[in-house]
Amino acid sequence: MLRSLFLSLSLVLFSLHAAAQDWIKTGTNLGVEKIRIAVPDFKATSQDPRNTELLKTFNDTLWSDLDNAGIFDMVSKSFYPLTQIGAPTDVKFETWSAPPPNAAMLVFGNLAASGNNMTVQGWLYDVKNTASPQILGKQYSDVATTQAARVIAHKFADEIIFRLGAGINGIAETQIFYVSSRNGHKEIWGMDYDGANQHPITTLGSIALSPHVSPDGSRLAFSAFTGSGWEIRMFSFDLNRLVSFPRFAGTNLSPAWSPDGTKLAFSSSRSGDPEIYVIDQSGANPHRITNSKGPDVSPTWNRKTGSQIAWVSGRSGLPQVYVMGSDGTNVQQLTDQGYAVSPAWSPNGTIVAFSWMRHYGPGAPGAQDIYIMDIVSKQWVQLTHDGGRNDFPSWSPDGRHIVFQSNRSGSLQIWTMLANGENQKQITNSGSNSEPDWSWK
Amino acid sequence: MPTGEIFFEHERWGHNLALSAALHLGVTLAIIGYAYIAYSGHGANWGAGGGGSAMEVSITSTIPLPANPVQTQSVLATESKGLSKSEPKTAVQEPEAIPIPEKNAKKKPPKQPTETLRKPQPEPQQQASNVAPFGEGGPASGPYAMFNNGAAKGGFSFTGGGGDFGTRFAWYVRGVNQKVSENWMKYEVDPRITNANRVYLTFDIDRSGRPSHVQIEQSSGVPSLDISAMRAVQRIDTFGPLPPEYPGSKVSVEFWFDYKK
Repeated sequence: MLRSLFLSLSLVLFSLHAAAQDWIKTGTNLGVEKIRIAVPDFKATSQDPRNTELLKTFNDTLWSDLDNAGIFDMVSKSFYPLTQIGAPTDVKFETWSAPPPNAAMLVFGNLAASGNNMTVQGWLYDVKNTASPQILGKQYSDVATTQAARVIAHKFADEIIFRLGAGINGIAETQIFYVSSRNGHKEIWGMDYDGANQHPITTLGSIALSPHVSPDGSRLAFSAFTGSGWEIRMFSFDLNRLVSFPRFAGTNLSPAWSPDGTKLAFSSSRSGDPEIYVIDQSGANPHRITNSKGPDVSPTWNRKTGSQIAWVSGRSGLPQVYVMGSDGTNVQQLTDQGYAVSPAWSPNGTIVAFSWMRHYGPGAPGAQDIYIMDIVSKQWVQLTHDGGRNDFPSWSPDGRHIVFQSNRSGSLQIWTMLANGENQKQITNSGSNSEPDWSWK
Repeated sequence: MPTGEIFFEHERWGHNLALSAALHLGVTLAIIGYAYIAYSGHGANWGAGGGGSAMEVSITSTIPLPANPVQTQSVLATESKGLSKSEPKTAVQEPEAIPIPEKNAKKKPPKQPTETLRKPQPEPQQQASNVAPFGEGGPASGPYAMFNNGAAKGGFSFTGGGGDFGTRFAWYVRGVNQKVSENWMKYEVDPRITNANRVYLTFDIDRSGRPSHVQIEQSSGVPSLDISAMRAVQRIDTFGPLPPEYPGSKVSVEFWFDYKK
């Protein structure tokens, strides 16, 4: 009697313990291909005539955000069952998880405009798990405008990407800053990551180059040609105007933010030969960290640790990419041939993207392409191949996308691609657009 | 009457004793004296002597010493043009076996049903490693996969009695799998290794998704492989928060790494 009591007690305790902590067993290379996701159009659940237009913007934005994310294999809409779904009760799992759709995940929901507002409900379902399929269920409401519909779609897409992309934030709400000359002068412009909402930021009436936004998104540093030469300038988004930043002698270019937002690195030729300087974000304490003949320009910080800087140096002849500690010690050379410029450090700290003319010189093909290089192993991969000149790569905060400039379409435009070279698409069209910089969040 | 005379002869031992003692003393003194004379000189010169001639070394080529280790070509010093050449595909990637919420799904059964699903997918997509990435790169969740060489086989097993996390939150397990695989820098393994036993790692994931308590549960026997596996997990900041429907405070993961060059 006592024995059986003890036995049952221990069993109870064991099962409690097991419930408190689960085990997962898994291993490497088990086919981590892209997730097959089906995203049928959201359904209108009110009679408002504005729904059609709102839904069109919403559906298109949601689809392209998920498509752009780089982790999904979008199931083509021609495979979807014909009945439209808008709520969990409408979902028949087998029609989605079996061929032809053969989806692993399903996104669906509804949108209803009424009065000034609209409400959007969205769900993310794991259709292969009929017991407990819901991964996300969200409701958003905002004013009934297409811009708000776009923003809600971006938010929902980011939620989905965050869940299914193992904790990395989606980029649907990020911005790209760039230089555009479509108004006659080279000014700094900003746009959504997919090219929507292009708008000017500076109106200096001069030449503004190399925009770099701060990690917290509150300020934008850039270099501008003022009457007296090239200066580092600072624009504040909080105040919506330029704020003061110290002026130095010589040509001062390409400011770059440290990942904690406390320092800037830039190149200055105040001592005659362009060298890399580091300065506090307030403009105090400038100090020089390179000291060699030949230009030293285009610094970029290690985005994970902030303890290293990659930059371009002409100390051995043609421009090559180097890496050093952020105090100037421990200089290492990364490239050793051709003409390498514009390094950009990846958010996870292991890779540098840059623009390279590997075969440079008379008689050489002269193609300038974006390459990425693993810093430790120095193995590199070529990402663009389509000819033209590709330059100024910048990483998205999820580390899966790169934005760059390319003239392959005939004029200089901004392009984005996945960080393995796939899915290259042009996102600007008018005027001449260059030197893109992806925001940090 | 016979009489015996017992002669009690006084042994004249006194004399002999003295002689013996004297001889003993002499020998002792001789020993001490010899030690003193023979070795005291060396003591004074010990180490201080004539211009550092303390040791004389003679190269003996007759002693069979082991040869110097041959410098093998370092991975970093390679002249290869990075990863822009194709390598023959060595093994078929085992596809994701998540959607089979059966009891103890062993390695074999998941292979069958999912293989047919995989046919329409282009093969090169999996072999992200040494192929020029244009248009054919591996999962675009990151370029990091392209720096990993070689195919590896793995097995996927659901734990029988350790809870149903894997069945309920298969998408989370997939995320863990992908993230660790992406962060495994196979070039950290000793380049002379071509094949190794599986290394099993265990670690916990807390509610915020952070991995902790990374430990080697079963070593592969290759230290550089074990270390590269541990580093893969240590590189990761977060796997994403645990699903809110999961009641536990953490999840324990057993992860294995198959290395094949």
